[in-house]
Amino acid sequence: MNPRLILPLLLLTLLFPASAFAELDVSDARIKHLPPTVPVRAGYMTLRNPGAQAVTIVAVQSDAFASVEIHRSYMQDGMMRMDPVDSLTIEPGETLQLAPGGLHLMMMQPAEATRPGDSIEIVLEFDDGTEQRLTLEVVK
Amino acid sequence: MNKSTILAVAAIALIGGFALSWHAHVNRAIELESGVWFGEQARALPEFQLVEHNGSKLTRESLQGKWSLMFFGYTHCPDICPISLQTLADMVRAIDDPHVADALKVYFVSVDPARDQPQVLADYVTYFNPDFIGATAPLEQLTPLTRSLGIAHALRNQTEGSEQYDVDHSAAIVLINPRAEYAGLFGAPQDAAKMARDMTRIIERNPL
Repeated sequence: MNPRLILPLLLLTLLFPASAFAELDVSDARIKHLPPTVPVRAGYMTLRNPGAQAVTIVAVQSDAFASVEIHRSYMQDGMMRMDPVDSLTIEPGETLQLAPGGLHLMMMQPAEATRPGDSIEIVLEFDDGTEQRLTLEVVK
Repeated sequence: MNKSTILAVAAIALIGGFALSWHAHVNRAIELESGVWFGEQARALPEFQLVEHNGSKLTRESLQGKWSLMFFGYTHCPDICPISLQTLADMVRAIDDPHVADALKVYFVSVDPARDQPQVLADYVTYFNPDFIGATAPLEQLTPLTRSLGIAHALRNQTEGSEQYDVDHSAAIVLINPRAEYAGLFGAPQDAAKMARDMTRIIERNPL
């Protein structure tokens, strides 16, 4: 490679970090506020895949919580149940809702007390190794 | 039959009559919008003892004199349990008649006593309404109550060496009358406005 190209290329990669290749349109991303001693929060959002390829979320991370998992609540025979979900696939053009009473992020052990209005950053990790950063607002 | 015996029999009959009429009174037929009303089929609760989030005892006797709504859940349930507690808070706010609101207490009973310490329960329930009461007890004391109310709960998704597990639990909100009898239930998903109208109807027709 022409050595004179290296610096411009490096600058180019700085301009386009992984998050610039965001694969999902995210809206209504929020965390239901609970008192600080309560160890778990639920995160909700609407995810739309505008691309031509299916997108699969395999993990979610956040510095603000000890761990984040994808969970699904559902009712069966009058019982409320909740199960972890390994991955979420969103087909091209499809929209997936993480909403109360169904799919949600189970966000465990907040590192610090959060308050309504706070912004919490999370990272969605995809099966192809890429990731997407997004911000959830803590809501009452 | 001498005079004092007649008086005694009359007195007993009178007291019995009052008791019967009051019994019918709290359980009179009511059509509910959003729940099931047991009417005459209301069932006495067994003896039980839980601990409220402020440290006081919650027993069958302490339920007497008020109408009680009881929801069962746990604080590591971030999705469904807050929805139900928010519905209950909205219901209380939707009750216009202050006498009805005063006659009603709301309990959140944790079916996860191992993790739900009093302070966590206190913060959790009072966040939704400062008058809500959290309560729990070790399972051997909790189960006689939940069984008598038809409330099931069981640990699931438990992995060895991990504190993380889920607790399946019945989603119904249970209604207990001022005689500490299981008097009705509201199945999920509950609707705050309908429940408020139902509770108003029940309590106005059965004043304390």
